Amino acid sequence: MNCEEVTVLLSADVDGEVDRLRAHAMARHVAGCAACAQRYRAAQAQRERLRTELPYHCASVALRRRVQATQAAMPDPSLRPNSPALEGRWRWFGGGLLTGGLAAGLLWAATPWWQHGLPGEDLSGQVVGLHTRATLANHLIDVASSDRHTVRPWLSARLDYAVPVTDWAGAGYALVGARLDRLEGQPVAALVYRHRNHVIDVFVRPALPGAAAPPTHTVRGFNVATAVGADMQWVAASDLNNADLAEFAKGLAKGSVTAAGD
Amino acid sequence: VALSTHADFERLVMVHLDAGYNLARWLAHDAQDAEDVVQEACIRAMKYIATLRGEDGRAWFLTIVRRAFYDWLAHNRPALMVRDDEYALELLADEADNPEQALARKAEHIALAAAVAALPLPFREVIVLREMEDLSYKDIARIAEVPVGTVMSRLSRARRLLRASCGSFASESMAREGDA
Repeated sequence: MNCEEVTVLLSADVDGEVDRLRAHAMARHVAGCAACAQRYRAAQAQRERLRTELPYHCASVALRRRVQATQAAMPDPSLRPNSPALEGRWRWFGGGLLTGGLAAGLLWAATPWWQHGLPGEDLSGQVVGLHTRATLANHLIDVASSDRHTVRPWLSARLDYAVPVTDWAGAGYALVGARLDRLEGQPVAALVYRHRNHVIDVFVRPALPGAAAPPTHTVRGFNVATAVGADMQWVAASDLNNADLAEFAKGLAKGSVTAAGD
Repeated sequence: VALSTHADFERLVMVHLDAGYNLARWLAHDAQDAEDVVQEACIRAMKYIATLRGEDGRAWFLTIVRRAFYDWLAHNRPALMVRDDEYALELLADEADNPEQALARKAEHIALAAAVAALPLPFREVIVLREMEDLSYKDIARIAEVPVGTVMSRLSRARRLLRASCGSFASESMAREGDA
């Protein structure tokens, strides 16, 4: 082995990633070559320094909490709210659901109701359809952040209107992120909030004059609350109780959410 | 078999949160950006956790973190350029905090970390995975989605770049004759 070959393999040899035969050949060359021996020492010293001197950045407690909160807000794949009897079975199907195929087919057959949110239904039906689909497909969030300065520009870049985004964690409604969805054929911003164990989808779009839906609605066990304010229509969908959800929607429209009673 | 994904997540992902954050931080430089990347990676990890069976959770999670970073980068590239400079300033500020301890040795530390931070991404990521996570070339190849041969040449190149920016790492006192 010559100097050139040693130079090429040096870095890998220091990492112990050269096979024994070649490593042996290298060692023999290095033993008789002062220049390569010097290169070797330099490589080992460099490795030593990189390993001892580079600062290792640990996750902050805040990040750890944030991740845990987001994770708690994400239902196990395909879990239907308030159906504990199904939990074990659906959890088991989680992997299959994500890869589509057979499990998705079984799921569809077992729970045909979730496919019902087709165009042409009233607004509440559509919104619940979007909410359950996003929950089931585990695709609630495109941009995960509690920081409105992250969420807002992300949405603005994808929509032709600006979405007012506020984290209401102080009032018990923590912003977890947002995604882009389609409502009545138009792209719409969906803000995702967490309130205790409930995930709340809030669809925000420019308000059309006189197009206000009934303030609250219940579709297949999910509540939908609508409010208009700040030139926007706010449609919240969740398994959270009707009164709290309506209050939350009103608060969003007013730009001032207050803590729920319970 | 019927484990909950929430329990899996705790056992397979949360234990590697530091490794994921460290990688994200070295790639993104900025603490807040790194947190966003890790948060996104955790959501993806949660989503795909059922596909992880009997593998090394750390390499798997780092693969996801790395992809989340590059997706993030695609949306935020201009901002990143600015932060590169800010990071270098931050490193210098650390030194200024302890003027009496800013010995030559310490100055070298800063230069080394700054030199790694300044490496182009393809080189920086392999250095972090190799020197800070002590992963094998095979694992690094999987995480960085390149062949093992490429990992080898990138590491070699990265070390030459570091040598070029920091000077030789060999110190006379460390000479160990015949050590191969």
